[in-house]
Amino acid sequence: MAETYRVSFQEDLDRVEAALQEEGELVIRALRGALNALRRRDLELADEVIAFDDDVDEAYQRIEQGIHALLARQTPVAGDLRLVLAMLHINLHLERAADYCVTIAKLTKLVAQNESDEALLAAFEEMGSRAEEMIRLALESFHQRDVGRAESLVDLDELIDRGNRRVVERVLDLGPDRSLREWGLRMLIVSRCLERIGDHAVDIGEQTAYLVTAEFREFTDASHPSEERLGDTHG
Amino acid sequence: MSDTITRVGRVEIAQREEAPVPARQEVVFDIRNLTVRYGRTTAIREVSFEIYRNLVTAVIGPSGCGKSTFIRSLNRMNDLVPTAKVEGEVVYLGKNLYDRDVDPVEVRRWIGMVFQKPNPFPKSIYDNVAWGPRVLGMRSGLDDRVQRALEQAALWDEVKGRLKRNALSLSGGQQQRLCIARALAVEPRALLLDEPASALDPIATSAIEDLIHELKRDYTIVIVTHNMQQAARVADRTCFFSLSEEDAEGERSGILVEYDETQKIFTSPSDPRTEGYVTGRFG
Repeated sequence: MAETYRVSFQEDLDRVEAALQEEGELVIRALRGALNALRRRDLELADEVIAFDDDVDEAYQRIEQGIHALLARQTPVAGDLRLVLAMLHINLHLERAADYCVTIAKLTKLVAQNESDEALLAAFEEMGSRAEEMIRLALESFHQRDVGRAESLVDLDELIDRGNRRVVERVLDLGPDRSLREWGLRMLIVSRCLERIGDHAVDIGEQTAYLVTAEFREFTDASHPSEERLGDTHG
Repeated sequence: MSDTITRVGRVEIAQREEAPVPARQEVVFDIRNLTVRYGRTTAIREVSFEIYRNLVTAVIGPSGCGKSTFIRSLNRMNDLVPTAKVEGEVVYLGKNLYDRDVDPVEVRRWIGMVFQKPNPFPKSIYDNVAWGPRVLGMRSGLDDRVQRALEQAALWDEVKGRLKRNALSLSGGQQQRLCIARALAVEPRALLLDEPASALDPIATSAIEDLIHELKRDYTIVIVTHNMQQAARVADRTCFFSLSEEDAEGERSGILVEYDETQKIFTSPSDPRTEGYVTGRFG
């Protein structure tokens, strides 16, 4: 039992996992850039965020190809198989999260000349920081194979969802100014993007749980919401 | 609209009903505390588990863990080894195969075996298949019996025009299917396959694996294989044998570590030793 085999296979697995963590760092940078561009009306930064998505896509492709090679050449089974499958999903979740950052940057450019609302911008900063924290926690708990921490993502996600619902209320109250109303409508999508990034972080947490327990289960069931949330259509 | 949804649901359920392991399974081999020794060496120690009807059960594990010893004990092939000593029971359809009143020749008639290297007799294709029935006095309808066995072994179409040719003129893969036909000709209930494809190329291996899939409708099959992907492909259930830790005398023996549905073994084995072996990390 002392001897360990398949050293190069293990190295390949480690390499793909490290690349996944790096991709996660790129996503966090994209998110931070998108939030700063939005708050400061920084169009140059918004353009940078949009262009930066190529880096994320490249990382995504590299990981995807690495996983294809592992599947084709190493026929992983048991824990190795679960790790490879989890990484395949997480890769997609990270790439999608980065796409939402691009959407935020594009909307920032679209409403650069419009009136804006300070309270909403502050709300986005809070939601965005929460989303950032969630991506980080999702990646850390995956790295540590820590199901307990992965499950705690659900609580953070609930905070973002609440923020998202408050944004809707606030936009409805923005008043008669056409420029401000247009801004508000665009910002509903920004809010939705941040909320979706949170969802992807939860999905990454579910992959951690699958990897560790070998059973896939959704942390929350969106199709069958609990009684007290039945009236809520924005979750 | 809802009608379509319902129909999709029904199709899915139908597919699930085809799953290989029905809820209730008839036990064919009930192995109870089986220990096999060769002289002072213990090959396998206290193995207990049940093998079910019409399933393919794979036995995997590192070299020297007693896989072949185990499968040979299911039809008393170990009797042919002078120093072999068997303890415990192999209960086959309710009867312990090692009871005094059991005739080992009779046992091997009901429980056929195919070995790693194809071993046809240097006789005609026909005589190879007809050999068992002749020995057992099953002489009526011999031609039909030979044809049926060759058909079951998916070899008939390839040899029907040259049954009088020497079996050794066949390719390795064909010879192995001939050996399977020879085993089937006496109408056994169970089939033991000891590394049946390890000497064959990938195409011949696929032919054997397809054949195993066909045969499990009529037979209970136990297969020993070094090829874990083969176990993953053909077996409904898989048992993992390994070597025990050294005992007080520094001796190690083969033990059953884990036995479960094949999918479980290859996606989430319960024992870390199984995980180490199937992922190729530990020998």
